[in-house]
Formats: sequence, C-alpha cells, structure tokens
Amino acid sequence: MINVKDLHKSFGHNEILKGISTHVAEKEVVVIIGPSGSGKSTFLRCLNGLETATSGEIEIAGMTLTDPKTNIHLLRQHVGMVFQQFNLFKHLTILENVTIGPRKVKKIAPAEANRVARELLAKVGLVGKEASYPDELSGGQQQRVAIARSLAMGPNVMLFDEPTSALDPEMVGEVLQVMKTLAIEGMTMMVVTHEMGFAREVGHRVIFMDDGLIVEEGAPQALFSYPQRNRTKSFLAKIL
Amino acid sequence: MDPIRQNLPVLLDGLRLTIQYSIVAIILMVVIGLVAALMRLSAVAPLRWIATAYVEIFRSTPLLVQLFFIVLGLPAILPVNHWFGQLTYPILAAALTLSLNEGAYVTEIIRAGILGVDRGQKEAAQSIAMNGFQTMRYIVLPQAFKRMIPPLVNQAAQTIKDTSLLAPVGIAELVYKGEIVIAETFASFAIWGLIAALYFVLIFSLSKFSSYLERRLQVDKR
Repeated sequence: MINVKDLHKSFGHNEILKGISTHVAEKEVVVIIGPSGSGKSTFLRCLNGLETATSGEIEIAGMTLTDPKTNIHLLRQHVGMVFQQFNLFKHLTILENVTIGPRKVKKIAPAEANRVARELLAKVGLVGKEASYPDELSGGQQQRVAIARSLAMGPNVMLFDEPTSALDPEMVGEVLQVMKTLAIEGMTMMVVTHEMGFAREVGHRVIFMDDGLIVEEGAPQALFSYPQRNRTKSFLAKIL
Repeated sequence: MDPIRQNLPVLLDGLRLTIQYSIVAIILMVVIGLVAALMRLSAVAPLRWIATAYVEIFRSTPLLVQLFFIVLGLPAILPVNHWFGQLTYPILAAALTLSLNEGAYVTEIIRAGILGVDRGQKEAAQSIAMNGFQTMRYIVLPQAFKRMIPPLVNQAAQTIKDTSLLAPVGIAELVYKGEIVIAETFASFAIWGLIAALYFVLIFSLSKFSSYLERRLQVDKR
C-alpha cells in the first residue's frame, strides 16, 4: 500500500529526513515513535505531498507520489490525514465540514453526501452535533469530526499526525477508540503518536525514528520489551 | 435657508453622481483588489511583479495627480476622446482611475486577510484533495473575508470622500455642484455645511450597514 525508497527531505541546508525506506502492507497499522525533531511528522507529511520530497521515491495507494506527472489531487483522495490541531473548517458546520470534500472535490450530490456524512458522524459518536460549529465542540469531539471528514473521501490509507497530542487527557481515549475501530475494520494506517498503549494494543508494527532515520522497527511487543539499539533503549526508558 | 432650498435640486443632482461613482468604484476596487491580491500571492513571479508595481505606483502618487494625468493628460497624447467619445472618456477615465487607486489599498487589505488565515486550514483543505482554487474559494476566502470587513468598510468610506477629488477634473458631483451654487449665491457657510452633512449621512449609513453585515456574517462564535 505504501512503499518508500530512500526518502530525503531538506529545508534549506537543514536535512530533516536522511534516507527513509519502508513498506506498509494493506490493512497494516504502523505506529511511528521517536523524540521531537526526529522527522516523524515530516515523514508523514511527505506521504500525501504536504511536503515535497527532496529525493527518493514514494508509492502510495497505487500511485507514485514522487512522479511529477502524478495528479496530486487524485492521489490525496485516497490518502486521508488527521492533524494534531484538528484543523476543522471554522466557518462551516460539523456536517458541512464532512460533506464539503465529497461535494466540491468528488462532485457528489448534496443529499448523498449528507447521508454518508451522517453515517460517519454516527460512527465517530457525534449524532446531534451536525449543526454545531467547530468552536462549540470539545477537542476530542473536533478530532473525531476531523477523522469523519477524512473518511468521507473514501481513503485507502489514513495518516494520523499526533492526533491526541493537543487533547486534554480525558479526551484521548475517545479518539483512540475511534482509531482502534478503524484499524479493526482493516484500514491501512500510519500513526505518529506518543500513546504507547495504543501502539502496543493496535499497532502491527512500530517504527522508531531518530535524527531523520529509522533506527529500529518491529512488532510492538518485541520492540518495547527487547529494543536492540541503544538509542531506542534510552528513548523508551524515558517515556515508558 | 433660502439659498439651500432654492438650490437643493442642483445639489441633490450632484449627490446622485457622487453616489453613482462611489458604488462603481467600491465594486471595482474590490474586484481589482481581489485579482491583484491573488496575483501578489501567486507562485508565478511575473504576476507578483505586475501586481506589486501596480500597488506601489498607485499608492505612492496622489489621487488628484493620477486623475489629472489620466483624465486630462492622456487625451493630449492619445486619441482616447475619439475612441470612447468626447463626453464618455472623462467619465470612464475618472471612474477607472478612482477604482484603480482605491484598489491598490484593497489589494493589501485582501492580501493581509488571506495571509491571516491559519495555515492549518489550507493544509486540511489540501488533505481532502481540494485544488488551489477550491481551497481559496471554499476555505480561505470565506474566513479571510470576515476579518477584512472592517478595513474594507474604512476603505469604502475613504472612496466616497475621494469622489470629491473628481470635481477638479470636471465631473459634476456634489462638490462641483456646490462650487457652482456658491458662485451664484455666495452662501459659502450654509452650502459647505450642507455638503458636509450629506457626506456624513452617506458614510454613516454605510458604517451602520457594515456593522449589521458583520454581525450576520459572524462565523466563529468568539
């Protein structure tokens, strides 16, 4: 589903990603952990073209992102993304937030878009909030709307960029629960997070990144219990 | 009171023209400002250069000089009167010059408004596969527009007052008519007072209308 070969990304002279290669299978849930500044978010943002790779190759959802001939907008219809700060459209209601993509991008009729949106809002537990505005919702609710907004485009892959880092602790669970449900349903997911419980329980594989490189990767139990590299050990010692 | 009552129809005739020029200029300045703002934010360098040159030129020279130059100066080197008609050219040129001048300020208002929208909004729009136009049209501009209302209303008030500078190039708006009436009646105090009051009513109603508009368009409830 995702194939990354020797991905490099620099901002000016500052090299953030120093050669990332990995493969994510269909229905796989991969959790990326690592200290801040290790390039986790940049890596994720490269996967839907929010950042342009400096060099290397990215194949995702059957398309080659790094090929300049690829239609990036078509590709993004298949790659959903959830942001740390939710980024709901502040001027639109909850329902409109979920329907605007299908309606304007995929040209789906309003009635059909509304029907799908209501289903998705029910799925993330937000029935009755359709007419509210984002500012009237809690952070946890907003993030669940953001997930529904992404799902409304019918993606093959979902990218989560620290989806619970901006939330009050009591709201983290409700968002993780929605993500867990998605994982069980077979969505291919890449999740940058500090939630080790989620990584352990839901992740099929954990990638530890540091200083722009993948230091170590493996099944959650193995990586958390028997880290091989010193950098992984010292990072895990700090957070577990 | 006599000079006012006798000459009121003449002054109202001038007021009508003031309102007409104001409406045309306010509409055009927003259209021009939007296009130029998008050009200034464009990834295409020549578009940025053209828009920047436009803003700098119109902002750095007096409107009165621009009006003299385009309305009265241009016919001296180009047969514009022949192309557009002796009577039509000054009207078109005056309206367009005024709009271009105000549009330069509006460009900066709109540009600042667009840049003021949180970057995350644009990224979220991109992440649901919107292209540049859709992102601008459905996500960025509606949010930018709400913040732009107060400075745009300021600029509209300025535009209404700036129509008074059309008098020296021969447009028979309110000030022009006032000068004629005063030349006949010598009622300088009463007529200028009345003219000031008419501008006040015009601009005060605009600002009342805009606060109504702002309340209606309030999007995020903070």
